[in-house]
Amino acid sequence: MSPETGTSEIVETRVLLRHASDPNLVKIDTYKSYGGYQTQERAYKELEVDWMVDQLEESGLRGRGGAGFPMGKKVSFLPHGDQAKYLCCNADESEPGAFKDRELMQRNPHQLIEGIAIASLAGDIGHAFIFIRGEYDKQADILDAAVAEAYAAGYLGKNILGSGHDLELVVHRGAGAYICGEETALLDALEGKRGNPRLKPPFPAVQGLYGGPTLINNVETLSNVSHVIANGADWFKAFGTEQSPGTKVVSISGCVKRPGNYEVELGLNLRDMIYELGGGPLEGHEIKAVYPGGSSSPVLTPDDLDRPYSFESMAEAGSMLGSGSIIVADDTVSIPHLALRTARFYHHESCGKCTPCREGTNWTVKMLERVVRGEATPMDLDIISSVQKNIMGHCLCVLGDSMAMPVSAMVNKFRPEFEEVIATAAFSGFPTADGREAQIDGEEPGPGGVSPELIKQARLAGRPVPSAAQNAGNN
Amino acid sequence: MARPKPNPITLTIDGREVAANEGMMLVDAAKLGDIEIPVFCYEPKLGQPVGACRMCLVEIEGIPKLQTACSTPVRDGMVVHTQTEQVKEAQNAVVEFLLVNHPLDCPVCDKGGECPLQDISMGWGPDRSRVVDVKRHFEKPVPLSPLIGIDRERCILCYRCARFSQEVSEDQQLQLLERGDRSYIGTFNDQPYIAPFQGNITELCPVGALTSYTYRFQARPWDIEQGGSVCTLCPSQCNVSFTVRDEEVKRVLARDNEAIDDGWLCDRGRYGFQAMYSQDRVLNPIRFENGNPVPASWAEAIEIAAGGLAATGGRSAALVGDASNEEGFILQSIVREGLGSKDIDSRQAPNVGRSIRVRLYDPAITATVADIDTADAVLVLGTDPIHSAPAFDLRVRKAVRRNGTALGVATDRPSALDGGATEVERFAPGDAAGYMRQLTAAVKSGADTGMAGLLKGAEDIVIVWGERLGRGENGPAAVESLLELSAALEISGKAESGLIEIPDVANARGLREVGCLPDSGPGLSEVEAGRDVEEIRAGLESGEIKSLILFGVDPIRDFPDTDGWRRALEAAEHIVCFSMGATETTDLATVVFPLESHAEKDGTVTHTEGRLQRVRPSAQRPGDIRPGWMVLAELSAALGHETNIHSGPEALRAIGEAVPFYAGLTDKIIGGRGIRWQDRPESAAFEAVAGTGVAPGAVVPAEAVTPVSATPTEASSDGTLTLGTFRDLWANQVTEMSPALNYLIPAQRLEVSVADAKRLGLSRGDEVAVKSGDHEVVARVAIRGAMPEGTCFLIEGTLEGNANVFANGKPAQVEIGKPSPKLDLVMAGADSTEAAPEE
Repeated sequence: MSPETGTSEIVETRVLLRHASDPNLVKIDTYKSYGGYQTQERAYKELEVDWMVDQLEESGLRGRGGAGFPMGKKVSFLPHGDQAKYLCCNADESEPGAFKDRELMQRNPHQLIEGIAIASLAGDIGHAFIFIRGEYDKQADILDAAVAEAYAAGYLGKNILGSGHDLELVVHRGAGAYICGEETALLDALEGKRGNPRLKPPFPAVQGLYGGPTLINNVETLSNVSHVIANGADWFKAFGTEQSPGTKVVSISGCVKRPGNYEVELGLNLRDMIYELGGGPLEGHEIKAVYPGGSSSPVLTPDDLDRPYSFESMAEAGSMLGSGSIIVADDTVSIPHLALRTARFYHHESCGKCTPCREGTNWTVKMLERVVRGEATPMDLDIISSVQKNIMGHCLCVLGDSMAMPVSAMVNKFRPEFEEVIATAAFSGFPTADGREAQIDGEEPGPGGVSPELIKQARLAGRPVPSAAQNAGNN
Repeated sequence: MARPKPNPITLTIDGREVAANEGMMLVDAAKLGDIEIPVFCYEPKLGQPVGACRMCLVEIEGIPKLQTACSTPVRDGMVVHTQTEQVKEAQNAVVEFLLVNHPLDCPVCDKGGECPLQDISMGWGPDRSRVVDVKRHFEKPVPLSPLIGIDRERCILCYRCARFSQEVSEDQQLQLLERGDRSYIGTFNDQPYIAPFQGNITELCPVGALTSYTYRFQARPWDIEQGGSVCTLCPSQCNVSFTVRDEEVKRVLARDNEAIDDGWLCDRGRYGFQAMYSQDRVLNPIRFENGNPVPASWAEAIEIAAGGLAATGGRSAALVGDASNEEGFILQSIVREGLGSKDIDSRQAPNVGRSIRVRLYDPAITATVADIDTADAVLVLGTDPIHSAPAFDLRVRKAVRRNGTALGVATDRPSALDGGATEVERFAPGDAAGYMRQLTAAVKSGADTGMAGLLKGAEDIVIVWGERLGRGENGPAAVESLLELSAALEISGKAESGLIEIPDVANARGLREVGCLPDSGPGLSEVEAGRDVEEIRAGLESGEIKSLILFGVDPIRDFPDTDGWRRALEAAEHIVCFSMGATETTDLATVVFPLESHAEKDGTVTHTEGRLQRVRPSAQRPGDIRPGWMVLAELSAALGHETNIHSGPEALRAIGEAVPFYAGLTDKIIGGRGIRWQDRPESAAFEAVAGTGVAPGAVVPAEAVTPVSATPTEASSDGTLTLGTFRDLWANQVTEMSPALNYLIPAQRLEVSVADAKRLGLSRGDEVAVKSGDHEVVARVAIRGAMPEGTCFLIEGTLEGNANVFANGKPAQVEIGKPSPKLDLVMAGADSTEAAPEE
């Protein structure tokens, strides 16, 4: 069933990455030699628009950007009529752990362009944009070249393939903000404004870019379009599970032997994917925690790994599939530090528009910093948990939740480790002048000659512990 | 687009049935059921909700997640809970989050005691903080502008000020800088925030982050009182509330009145209160001994005033400017009945006569301010509201931004509204009549391009026009064309269409309606015509008029033909001058009476839409100042004409008896929000007045319009430029008497087009002399891209180089040259003794 078979039992099913190993695939001629743009030609010349929308809806193709919203539904939500409609391809892939769109654009840009062209026809859209994150410089160059080729070959521009349909496609480079990957912030940024999320409703399908109905989809989602239209919804549904049909490019990273992108059918066993595709943890180490869907998904413990990797099963486990980025942490990773690192990312990237995210990320970072410095008490862990709860569901967009979910999962699932860090950090190192994290090394003697064990006990009991400065003064 | 019709619905909030209109935001609907949902960022005045602060989260049945009540439109049958555990937790959380970085310096914060953050923390917040971490720090307070200090530590990033700057005043200067909890409000490159409406952000700020330097540490909320009044510094007549401490005004706040000002104030209205306590204010009656001013007692001053007026017999005249209806009414009665004269005017230059005026004041073609909001098309004609009535500028912007109103701007000078306009057309200074005739013809012929095209498809049309359209030789013809245009557009038949005039002085309409016009008496009644303002000037100069009452006017500064007025006032035998501040005019008076400010006065004024509003006393009159109506009534009695007016309400009753369409008006009927006389049944009496005017629809013959040489597109062949003048918002005594506004006092500048600047070799900032005949004004060059070639503009009423020396009812052709050294310090043309030469 699979064109390229791996060596292990768990196999890749390459649809989007099928010819990715051919370095010339970025050229339009090579792409066409593999059958590229044939679907667009059929779509523009023969196929009924309604049929295409039906197929997209029927296929159950779910958004690959993180939220997993059915793509065909989005297309069908677009109002009919002659107002200007837009398509935005979200290529602002910035979530830690996610790097699948980069590969899709870098290796097979025309697949994306063809998908955009077909989706634009299906949605009666005349203007499309690819909003690519500024750091993806090389990929943007590749896209620019590919778009120019597509224009020259008549797959973009005026009266495409004699169909009477016009499509202008612009590759827009972002200025480097995670929040611009949020669909409405992306629209604001594209309009030249500060990239802040908008209030929803109205949803972009009703009122998006420049106030017009806008279809926003992820690179991978749009890359799937030509395959769905070429082979039909039933072919697509044959892959994966009932609620998560199709293949998915999964980025596996972290403490594994073979990090990288793997295209698989949804529904494979998560543990097997990590061990078979990613190669499992390094010799002598064990998996401690896994983010199943990028840094914003609640972490899973090894106990949760024997599940099918699908939208529904991850939700059942209290986490999410998100953008399909698996980050593995092994036993060398300190979970409190991982929590701090995660929180710092979201604190840095919070746009500041809504209160819970702006203040919640900042406060969480400050508290976690105190935890790893040993300046916290176990009571602070309760406060951290409660703050995450206060953030969740109260924000304007999902960025706040993106920090709250993993941090809250870590504090709840690894609480003893947090308590341990609080207890040991106090005498193992002190905050440096520039506020960076202290070293964790329980073997160092305690400050001022105080027994490390004593300090540890005091910490665990939530009693105040003399600080280094106080001890220095006392001596 | 007609105003949307409300659709009543019922919803349930906390088990209570609430009647509301469909589409209202839940926060507003809840108020109708006496349920308060706390908000920080929500402010309907700012437009669409942004849902940023998350304070208003509520539970709506059928929706799993909490929703922001500020952005949820209500539906019939909606069931809302604002008191559940889930909602309370969310509210607690948001307040706690807001206080993570907010300093608890309430005891030294100016907002303390009137602070929404304090109130909401007490009402909806947790009772203690769990935050022990360090809060963010900024340098504080730093000046955001010369008027406003910003304390960024107190800022809770509600975005209100930035939204005001971006979506209401549209100056785009306030921006959010940085990201996340490092965000702060600032301007590009830390440049000062200079804009005419900036004071509004201090009122919008829900914490003590934005404070006016004029009010910092001046008072606490528990030792102040608020007194409502109307700002009479410009024709917008915005509703204000004075913050008074120890009988002295400390601050001016907006008193939201959607019908008038939408709850915004310009900075002149907000900070101009300082003029009330300026050392230049006239605080007591003044007489002159050997040319030197000396204080006089009231009895003495009235004796001098009455004696002088009586001595000149009927050869007296009066000019009114800054006055309430009551003051204007008593004054016209003094002139007409006490002195037996007919010469009174309340305009700065003559414009249209009575027959046109009664047609203009016809209720059927008068628009309301609120009509602008929902109009399909707004035409701004011959006025730049930002300078002449700032509240209108915001109103027109609002219509364009929120309602998609098509805006047409037709002016001589590039206007501040050009940017949002669909159509912009320019006419040469003084050629309004020519333009109006053209436009009217185009509309009648059904043209569908340009301005006529913009008006063609529109259902509701509001024309905002400047009084100045009617100035000069061709002025009446221009206004006649305007009436013809509105007839062609069938404005009179539509309820939400109409004309609205922007006059030169604040209470122009009221003064005209109570009889301060040479050709019409109280209620615009027909009277034997007297001299208009220009004829009064000529009469003074020729000696036909010997005595003059000046009430709240400064002809030398404000009126066209500065030299002519100086000669006229010097020639007068006796001048009774009522003034708030010492001016060149008061120096020429025989006796000077102090005037009340709008924080001290008790009386009524009439907004240009016909709304009578009350000016109410909030603060003590400084020095020895008495109510204007009282002084005038005493003066009248001293002249042997008993007015029988012994109180403000009596004066209003007397007006009601004399002005049929004001009949029966009392302070109570006018109330806090004012009432349009057109909305009362008594307005039917206007028909009787109108019946004596000329029938509507009369056509101006083209020959009646004297052609003007220059059009905007062609430069004069002799290298001269056509000079236009305008009154800058800040070129007046209030700016000079208010220390906070001093930085805005404009220096004279010559606005020229890019092409003319190139041709004449001018660059920005060059000092040049603008010459016409004997007059010369020194100005600095300002090159404006939008200025049509062949025209240039100067500011009227500047302290030095007042452009009114040129303005004598005709457009002047001016030469631009090097300034002559001797004229550097002398007011231009001051030494000229000849009459202003005509071109």
